[in-house]
Amino acid sequence: MRHIPALFRRELAAYFLGPMAFLILLAFQIIAFLNFWELVDLLSRPQRSLSALTDPMNSYISGSTPFWVAMLVAIPALTMRLVAEERRSGTIETLLTVPVTEAEVVVAKWLAGLVMYLVLLLPFAIYLPFLYHQARFHFDLGPVISLGIGLTTAGMMFVSIGLFFSATTRNQIVAAIWTFAILFLLVVLTLLVYYYAAERQAGWAEAARFVAVLFQMQSFAAGQLDLRVLTLHLSVTAFMLYLTVKVLQLQRSRE
Amino acid sequence: MIQVERLSKRYGSIKAVDRLTFAVGRGEIVGLLGPNGAGKTTTMRMLTTFLPPTSGRAVLSGHDVLDESLEVRRKVGYLPENVPLYHEMRVREYLTFRAKLKDVPRPRRRAEIARVIARCQLGEVEDRILGQLSKGYRQRVGLAEAMVRDPDILILDEPTAGLDPLQIREVRALIRELGDRHTILLSTHVMTEVEAVCGRVIIIAQGRIALDDRLDRLQAENAIAVEARGPAEAIRAVLEKVPGTEKVILTGRDGDHAAFKVQARGGADLREELATRLFQNGWPVRRLDLKRTTLEDRFIQAVAQEELAADAEAA
Repeated sequence: MRHIPALFRRELAAYFLGPMAFLILLAFQIIAFLNFWELVDLLSRPQRSLSALTDPMNSYISGSTPFWVAMLVAIPALTMRLVAEERRSGTIETLLTVPVTEAEVVVAKWLAGLVMYLVLLLPFAIYLPFLYHQARFHFDLGPVISLGIGLTTAGMMFVSIGLFFSATTRNQIVAAIWTFAILFLLVVLTLLVYYYAAERQAGWAEAARFVAVLFQMQSFAAGQLDLRVLTLHLSVTAFMLYLTVKVLQLQRSRE
Repeated sequence: MIQVERLSKRYGSIKAVDRLTFAVGRGEIVGLLGPNGAGKTTTMRMLTTFLPPTSGRAVLSGHDVLDESLEVRRKVGYLPENVPLYHEMRVREYLTFRAKLKDVPRPRRRAEIARVIARCQLGEVEDRILGQLSKGYRQRVGLAEAMVRDPDILILDEPTAGLDPLQIREVRALIRELGDRHTILLSTHVMTEVEAVCGRVIIIAQGRIALDDRLDRLQAENAIAVEARGPAEAIRAVLEKVPGTEKVILTGRDGDHAAFKVQARGGADLREELATRLFQNGWPVRRLDLKRTTLEDRFIQAVAQEELAADAEAA
């Protein structure tokens, strides 16, 4: 595992040496700005939206449609190049013929993707101190922290999914579409499935509610740090990373 | 240094490499020659552990490519075909990154990179972005990268492809120089390259070894063509007595003229002696010609034979 720092630094540098990371970051900054604007607006009219007062993080981040739309687009865009690009340009051959294991490559790339994901959340964090100190809106810190933890573990899961699909192809677009499809399933379709099941009072409605990322984030934002959800995220992450390593090992023989 | 035994690679029903067996000793420079699609790159990828063989085994520097692949990778420097590089990195930055991956210890890293930069004459471009370098420079960066940590074995897939004649000369000189301390396996489809650089040639066709011989032995197959007017048997007897001849073959008769092929020991040029003898006997000479066996002849011959054999097997 001693090669991970070198691999990780190259991977992270590669993000910032191209325009992609900056464009996505700009988009997130704009969304954060608009969401914050909306939040401040909501908070200044307390009589009309009590829920925003009791649960500000939800209306600011985890319950915001633009935030999730941006996530669904940004994560595939960030993860699609991780392995597919190396495969297309042939650098995978130089990478797998030095004394570096597939696991090191996978973990380093995943870490770089994860750091990029966390960087995308920074614009949202920037505004919070202003809200607290400048506007003297003393919101609870607990929900902020639990949402932070939840978004991080969810991001671990999302990035590992994107990395897996990037490893299966040399075409970045294909990787991005697959990743988008799976994230869409996790974030949006689970929601629809839950409502469908709940309407019919089906027994598995609770299961759909449990895996729906949107519901998970809403309860994190409300300050409920559900360890079952964290375990789910981390197990999916570990499993996807394992699969990615296997895919790389298998594809050696099929290059 | 390199031992390959019945190494095979199949892609579905296609045999890319078919039971290759050869060995390369320390300090040898071996040229892997073959037409496109003969299996040169596949062979090199198996030796560098990038591809696992379907069957057979390869041992490099005492380590098996399948069982001890990390050990093998430590001992081998590899220049892949088309030199894939990270185009957004700078030359020195790239070499530093590769040195880290190859476990060059931190205190030695600077010196090591300075060494390969000097060796491949990359000094003036060391701060340029790889994507903006010319093909020749990129090739040299790839070569410098392969030399990082001074591996025992260098495997170079078409090291001079895309270079201009001057750069080709420089790279060849560099490879010859490296040959003192490294074992080098290089692939090419340029005959002159093998003649200029290698001590030995392995010709691959249809995934099989068509020829494996030392270059000086190949050159020893030179023959002298003789045509003279006179009694064929008498001429033959005289020619056979010339010191240094190994074999005299009557190749044809044309009226009063007889044609012979004379093979000399070690491929020596016996034309002057032969002419003197023929002249002494009063037989007018029509032709006296040293025919060099070029690598190209042998290549075409070997490849054609291999194709015939493959066709016969398929039928």
